[in-house]
Parts: sequence; structure tokens; C-alpha cells
Amino acid sequence: MSTPDHTASQAPDLAVTTTGLTKRYGHRAVVDSIDLEIPRGIISGFVGPNGAGKTTTLRMLLGLVRPSAGTGEVLGHSIAHPARYLSRVGSLIEAPAFYPGLSGRRNLEILAALGRHDMHRVDILLGQVGLGDRGGDRFKNYSLGMKQRLGIAAALLPSPDLLVLDEPTNGLDPAGIREVRGLLRELADDGLTVLVSSHLLGEIQTICDHLVVIDNGKLRFQGSIDGLLSAQTAEVVAVPEHAGDLQRLAEICTQAGHTARIDADAVHAPAPETWAPELNRLAMQQGITLAALAVNRGTLEDAFFAMTDTDAHAILAHPTTSEVAA
Amino acid sequence: MIGAFLSELLKLRRRGLLLGGGGAFLFFTALFTILGIENASKNPGNGHGFHVSVAELSQPNGLVRGLSHAGPLLGIVMLGVFAAAFGAEYTTGALRNLLVREPRRVQFLAGKYIALVVFGVVALLAAGIVSVGLAFLLAPSKGVDTSAWTSSTGLSDLWSTMWHLVLSALGFGTLGAALAVIFRTPVAAIVVGIAWLLAAENILTLFWSNGSSWLPGQLLENLASGGSSSVSLVRTALTLAVYWAIVVVGTSVLFSRRDVAS
Repeated sequence: MSTPDHTASQAPDLAVTTTGLTKRYGHRAVVDSIDLEIPRGIISGFVGPNGAGKTTTLRMLLGLVRPSAGTGEVLGHSIAHPARYLSRVGSLIEAPAFYPGLSGRRNLEILAALGRHDMHRVDILLGQVGLGDRGGDRFKNYSLGMKQRLGIAAALLPSPDLLVLDEPTNGLDPAGIREVRGLLRELADDGLTVLVSSHLLGEIQTICDHLVVIDNGKLRFQGSIDGLLSAQTAEVVAVPEHAGDLQRLAEICTQAGHTARIDADAVHAPAPETWAPELNRLAMQQGITLAALAVNRGTLEDAFFAMTDTDAHAILAHPTTSEVAA
Repeated sequence: MIGAFLSELLKLRRRGLLLGGGGAFLFFTALFTILGIENASKNPGNGHGFHVSVAELSQPNGLVRGLSHAGPLLGIVMLGVFAAAFGAEYTTGALRNLLVREPRRVQFLAGKYIALVVFGVVALLAAGIVSVGLAFLLAPSKGVDTSAWTSSTGLSDLWSTMWHLVLSALGFGTLGAALAVIFRTPVAAIVVGIAWLLAAENILTLFWSNGSSWLPGQLLENLASGGSSSVSLVRTALTLAVYWAIVVVGTSVLFSRRDVAS
């Protein structure tokens, strides 16, 4: 049982806080003065391009890497004393790393013995992550998805209050991704805090309540995903029935105060989602029939690129588009 | 520390290690015991090396001749076992999982080390039992009188030889563990360890007449054979104790302070 950390000053509703957290290798700051505030009981997404400093930040929170500067607290205890809080933290950092010649069960038993956790949880967790009948197989014979599941089981061993997961859905098939998503939501509903790093922005958007974006070691954004998305400008896309009306339709947009561009057979106008019915009305008044009218809402991907200016090919995302019948 | 000890014991219970590491201990002691007795001749030997006479084998210390000659090789095997156990945590990446479950690094290191020491002692005791059993089994066929082996002097020789052998092998093992922590890979640790012990030290002793009094590998061999006329057992043990303390403190400090970044 951990003892209260008298140096701790963390607000009780926060699971993780850092102030000026920095890690330098030589003169290069891999993590550069980051101030984090991650609320308790939520799923927080931790995103950033490759080399942004995500894993180094997570390693500092887990006591694996010593910060060059700054302070931090996890579950009310200073990160300078990881032994005081890590018994309540589960983690999966980068690829699942276990002894290849040992079975999945034995690997979990080793971790359970080390952390003095209940050995009975090993079989329960193997079942929970879908490895109940494969626990006796050697780790090296597992598929990538099975390794990932074992990593998640290992992270859940201590019955944690905080779960730190780095790319937990890597290698999982769609059914596995859905299971992990459901599991994380279930855990968060039970009051557990989950900090999940991922490149899959669509995945983050689906499962997370809160988001932290870092790039080049610097914090670009932290807050609720809804707040971030609502700040994004949507784009109204109108397709006239006759291509000859494209220019006039664009002029209607411009006259209404929205910039417009013609792309193929559609007019694109960055505007609030609520303006789409107005455009429909204005077009009808001008005798233009719309074959289609759609609103492209701002996606997490758009927001991410706006903040990080990252090559789109490095990131996969699921765009959200809703169509409004013309 | 108890957690680290128990988890390491669980890890050591794997078939590959028991067959590989434990098997190597048994193989080398059995080999030296069998060859020592089978090569025994009726003519007096020079008291050193493998060629001993039946009369010499019939002395109280005849029982442990094979065992003591196996000492350096058992040490090398122990170096490999310790280096593999410590280095594998880095190469598999398992260290990051382990240190999240036990962040007190010195306790982690100590628990792991003690578990390996227990494994080493058990393996060497098993090897000793096999050696003694084989010696009693083979001795009559070569006309070796074993009555002196069970005398109080013979039993005392057996006890002290085992004791020296265990301490010497654990010294080699400690060196292997330290090298694995320094290099963060078992292969480099084993290669550097063997290169130093088998090549570098032997070359150094050619140019440094007093080298056997200070070089760790030479001292560990001397300990295994119960001391020599040039370096006494007490001096050997004291020098090695100082080396052991330096290695343990240095390794602990390095392991505690270094980032786990892979």
C-alpha cells in the first residue's frame, strides 16, 4: 500500500499532471516543457506524429526515463517516486515485450510475482482478453494480435486506477479492435483512467473523451475532443443539377459572405453546418436545383494536421461526413 | 526484493535453461570426473593436470580431483547463465514491463541476483553429487582405493572443494551479470567476458609477473583450486571480496540511474 506523498499537490480530479516536463538527449529536447492535465475517470487520447515525444513522455510518467527538467504527478504522487504509484498503474509501452520462450501464462505469472499481485488474476485476465485457451502456448508462437492481447492482460494485472497504453490496437483485426474499444470504455465507466496513445485518429475520436496532442516535443492541444471538433469550421458542399449553374452557385456563397471554390461538379464553401439549409433556400430562389447538399464536418484528422502540419500519409483516419438531402 | 526473487525463480524454471545451463554443469563435471579416473595410470603423476596416478586418486582428495579441475569451465558456464538472465531483459524489451511492476531498481536487481545465486548453488551441488557418484562408480574398475575418500580428511576436502567451487563460479556469474548490465545484451557480455578471461588475462600474465595476484579471472581460478603457493587462499578471497563489492555497487548505480529507453 502506498503512503501519501507529502510533496503532492495534484488536484483530486486529475490523474496525471506535469509542469515543464522536459527530456533532453544532448542538446535536443525530445519532450519540451510539457504541462499536462489529464482528468480522472476518462479515456484520454495521446496523439502526435512519429518522434513527437509521446513514448518518452509516457516513459517519464512510468519512471523508466528520468526527466531532464520539470515535475509531474501521477495519482497524487510525484514522478520522482514511481514506487509510490506504479502498483496502481498498468502499462503497455510500444510493442508487447515478453520472454519469447515462455508461455503467455508464465509471462503473466512472472509479472504477477514481481508486483506481488494475485496469481488467480492471470487466468481471469487471459480469458478476458480472449487468450483463455492459448495461455499455455509460447509467446513467440503468438500472432501480433495475440501478443497485443497479452500486453493488455499484463497491463490489467495490478487492477489499475490508471492504464497507460501505447498503440493498444496495433495488429488487432477489426473484431479485436472493437473488443479493445469496448473493454476500454467498460474500464473507464468503472472509474479507471485510460491514457491511450495511437496513430489511428479515427480510433481516438471513437473511444476518447479527452485529447492531448504533441508535436516536436511540444504540447499543441489538450482538452475535450468535442471542444476541439466544435472549434473546427465545417465545409458545405453543394452539387447543382446542371453543371452550368456551378459559377452562379459559387457567387451565391460569396454574396452570403462565405468563400467558395469549385471542385469538379461541386461548390465547396467553408461555413457553419447550420448554413446548409440557407444555401439550399438561396439556390432555390435563384432557380438552381441542387442534386446534393452535404456538410463535411471538421474531423480530428483536420484538426490534427492544422496543429501539427504532418504528412497525411503518416496518419490513418476515418472522415465523418453527413449528407443533407437536397 | 522478494517479488523480484520469486519472479526470477519462475523464469529460471524453464526447460531450455534447465537443460542448457544445468546440463552444462553436469556435463563438464561428469566429463572431468570420468576422464580423470579413466586416464589414471599405475605410474606416479606430477600431481597437476589430468594425468594422475591411481595412488594419487586413492588419497583423501582423490574424490574431488575431477571436480576441482572443472572449476574454470563451470565458471564460464555460470558467467553465461548470469549474462543471459540479465541481458535478456534488455534484448526482449521485458525490462520496461518488469520495472513498472517493481520500480525499486536496486531491490529488483538484488532479488534477481539472489535467485540466480540460488540456481547456481543448486546446479553446482547437483553437479557435485553427480561427480561424487561417478567417482565411486568408476573407481573400482581402475583399482582406486576409495576408503580414504570417506575419511574425515576426505569429507573435509570434499566440503572445502565444493565451497571454493561454488564461490568461484558465482564470482564468474557476477562478472557476467555486470557485463550484461553494462552492454545491455547477453551476447556482447558473454563474448567480452570470455575474451577477457581466456585471452586477455593470459596474455597479460605473460608480461605481468604479479598478474595472477590481481587479475579477477586468475583469482577466481585460484579460488576454485583452493589457493596456490604463489597466492594464498586468504589473499585471493579478500581481493575478490573487494572486487565483488566494487562490481555490485557500480552495477547497482548504473542500473538505477540509466534510462530504460528501448
